[in-house]
Amino acid sequence: MAEEKGLRRAAEIYADRFRAARELKEKGHKIAGYFCCYVPVELLSAAGFVPMRILGDMGEPVTVADTYLPTMMCPFFRSCLDLGLKGRYDFLDAFVGVHACDGAERVSAVWRSYLQYPCVFYLDTPHTAHDHALVFFQKQLGYLQAVLEEHTGRKISGAAVKEQISLYNRQRRLVRELYKLRQVDPPPVSGTEVLQVAVALLQLPVQEGNRLVEDVIAEVKARRPGPAPKKSRLLVSGCLIDNIAITGLIEECGLRVVMDDTAIGSRTFGHDVEPTPDPLKGLADRYLAKIVCPRTFRETGKSRAEDLEQRYAYLKSFIQDWKVDGVYLNLIRNCDIHGYEIPELKHYLEGLGVPVLAVEQDYSTAGLAPLRTRFQAFAETMEID
Amino acid sequence: MEEKKKKRSSAKTLQTAREAGYFGKKMLARTRSAVEAGQPVGWAMVEWWLGATIAKAMGVEMVFPENYGAFCAASRTAEANLDYSESDGFPSTLCGYARNCLGYTRRLKENGFVIPADATGGGMPKPDFLLACGAACDARYKWFQALGRYLDVPVWLLEFPQTGSREYFLPGNKEENIRFMVGELRSFVSFLESLLGRKMDWDALAERLDILFKTHALAHAVDRLRLAVPSPAMSTDFWALMIPHLYLPDDPETLAFYGRVYDEVKYKVDHNIGAVPNERYRMMFAELPPWHTLGFFDEVAERHGVAFAFESWNYHVPPPLPAGEKEGIGDPLELIARYSYHKFHHGADAGVKYGVDPIIFTAPYLEYVQDYRIDGLMCHPLVSCRPATYTLMHLRNVLLEKFKVPSVVVEGDIVDMRVFNEEEAHAKMDAFIETMDYHRELRRKEGLNW
Ligand code: SF4
Ligand code: SF4
Repeated sequence: MAEEKGLRRAAEIYADRFRAARELKEKGHKIAGYFCCYVPVELLSAAGFVPMRILGDMGEPVTVADTYLPTMMCPFFRSCLDLGLKGRYDFLDAFVGVHACDGAERVSAVWRSYLQYPCVFYLDTPHTAHDHALVFFQKQLGYLQAVLEEHTGRKISGAAVKEQISLYNRQRRLVRELYKLRQVDPPPVSGTEVLQVAVALLQLPVQEGNRLVEDVIAEVKARRPGPAPKKSRLLVSGCLIDNIAITGLIEECGLRVVMDDTAIGSRTFGHDVEPTPDPLKGLADRYLAKIVCPRTFRETGKSRAEDLEQRYAYLKSFIQDWKVDGVYLNLIRNCDIHGYEIPELKHYLEGLGVPVLAVEQDYSTAGLAPLRTRFQAFAETMEID
Repeated sequence: MEEKKKKRSSAKTLQTAREAGYFGKKMLARTRSAVEAGQPVGWAMVEWWLGATIAKAMGVEMVFPENYGAFCAASRTAEANLDYSESDGFPSTLCGYARNCLGYTRRLKENGFVIPADATGGGMPKPDFLLACGAACDARYKWFQALGRYLDVPVWLLEFPQTGSREYFLPGNKEENIRFMVGELRSFVSFLESLLGRKMDWDALAERLDILFKTHALAHAVDRLRLAVPSPAMSTDFWALMIPHLYLPDDPETLAFYGRVYDEVKYKVDHNIGAVPNERYRMMFAELPPWHTLGFFDEVAERHGVAFAFESWNYHVPPPLPAGEKEGIGDPLELIARYSYHKFHHGADAGVKYGVDPIIFTAPYLEYVQDYRIDGLMCHPLVSCRPATYTLMHLRNVLLEKFKVPSVVVEGDIVDMRVFNEEEAHAKMDAFIETMDYHRELRRKEGLNW
């Protein structure tokens, strides 16, 4: 049977990412698991690993991790550790933890205290993009590189890192091209489909991923959608979404997800790495300074208005370019990084005349049912507008 | 009602602990007088002596909203502030200290920045800047960033690298960490100089640091006196005594006070006077206490002869900087950076030895449990402070596995007293006593020496 291509292939990988990983192992690949969008995949890839973003599973109740983590923490990271302790990530050859948020930091520590891999590193990540922080982060990347080299027994050349940078830059550009296709109305590809592509890319060797997005773009461009009912266009912002149960629910409620500002989406695929003589510098700049996530503190400037502009102006362009009618602020319970943002972000977006729905959810498909009425009500408000 | 309230705050076993509340009030009063005198004022997160010492050397009075949160909780006046922050859209799952502060500040703003007459402890005046910190938890910068909603003053975030236990020992890594911190402190000095329009007073800073190190040497010596059996002091004493060394360590009055603390504890050790008559069990507490119900510990002591012999890693001063790290350092900023970094990483050896991360909140307990001959750990998972809660389950697993020390989990909160069920907590403690007996036997069989 011929292998699926494009969106079907993405959906297939999304549906069973562990199978995709096992297939890679069978082909002789080594896999490096990592947390969050702050670990430069280029380095893992240059060391000969397939980088694999560790995700949770909203559909699976947390059981084993209950003995290791309290209930009042980020349920996404509880789920990740739960899967880890249940052996789902046993195929990993390396593990890179990161100080992206409290959840990522502490679970990185707990994870490595119980689960052993041949190669392990913890990437300390500054909270600012001050000049000193960029230099420090570049040094930390140097340590990551050294630990990878020690494990594989071979040097990673600057040229090898640059080659990976250009491959991943290509991937990021392709994903942005796919995102752009959603600027028209109605968009030819749904939020659910795009999420499946994004999740698939986080599991695949870069070149295979690039081929996948190329196929997806060709497929989406070839679509000739007929007249479709007018639906409000939604920007999803906040905590990560790794499960189509959420995008599916939103889209069933009469809304279209046309753009996102989340960690499995524009935060991962926005911005290229600039070519720099020392590639680690370009990586440090891209990952620490260019990714805009509220986990990185931006200088407050001279006034509250300036502060808000520095933190949120990029959302204004998203809203204009993707013709956004409303914003869904997705908050996973117990997330401080996004939780503290809610009132100011709402204030800013409403100031732009865009209605906002903020919902705190438990990262559990079982808990989604009550959200249906909230999305429906939100869709109705926008229709009236 | 008054009866009940008295019972719930702790009686404390040390005279000096009973006097320590003075320092919190002094800190608040000093900031208010500074504002009246036209002097600058800052609000700071606990930043383990990194930035507030520098700001004070430049003539800024500092106050700590986390401490104010504990103050409001202990006097049971936090609830209205919590509700007020939630009604402005902040999730109820955020840190209790933060919600207390957000609610308070919202009221302050609505009152034209005149402190409301009923503010607890006389209240905190409007600051000229906010000093956030990257160590220990996200709330400690996100909360101050969120205060922009009411205050419109600049926020400075002090960076604080946190390394993994193996990474700590990578060649050159520690020095890189310190270089980073020093660079950041230099930028902080420039930030203050341009905000205040005055130059850094390096002599004043050196003087303050000298007092800080002396105060902390005494505070650490007191910690070591507490190794004694029977325990000369209780956790409830420590939670009062830590206020001056955490917030005002560079104040001559604190130094003199710690001299008295040391003398009092030493006297008790020399005369074999235990904090708890007939001490039968030595327990440890992690991590932040229920400020609103500290009397609970007195009752546990009375009922079972339990001495809470040690506690709360994050509130303790670190062991003194190794001589080699302190000598010959001429730059006070480097000295500060080394010391604060040391506070956060002194558990690195234990972390590597036992293969356990993180260094903060976990590894230091692997030493405490042996040094203080601990029979049991009381874990206090908090509804609203996740960072101090994240690793508690992990810690109890590790202590049980490596040292046969059991633990009891009593859920509660630092601020929100509604979630602390005192009766249930007592029932759990009653049942836990036998578990400690059983594990004592196990330890003996395994050749562990306590
Ligand atoms: S939801 Fe929040 S706490 Fe959880 S991983 Fe994301 S940023 Fe971290
Ligand atoms: S969350 Fe915990 S550690 Fe963080 S500021 Fe609040 S009380 Fe302090």
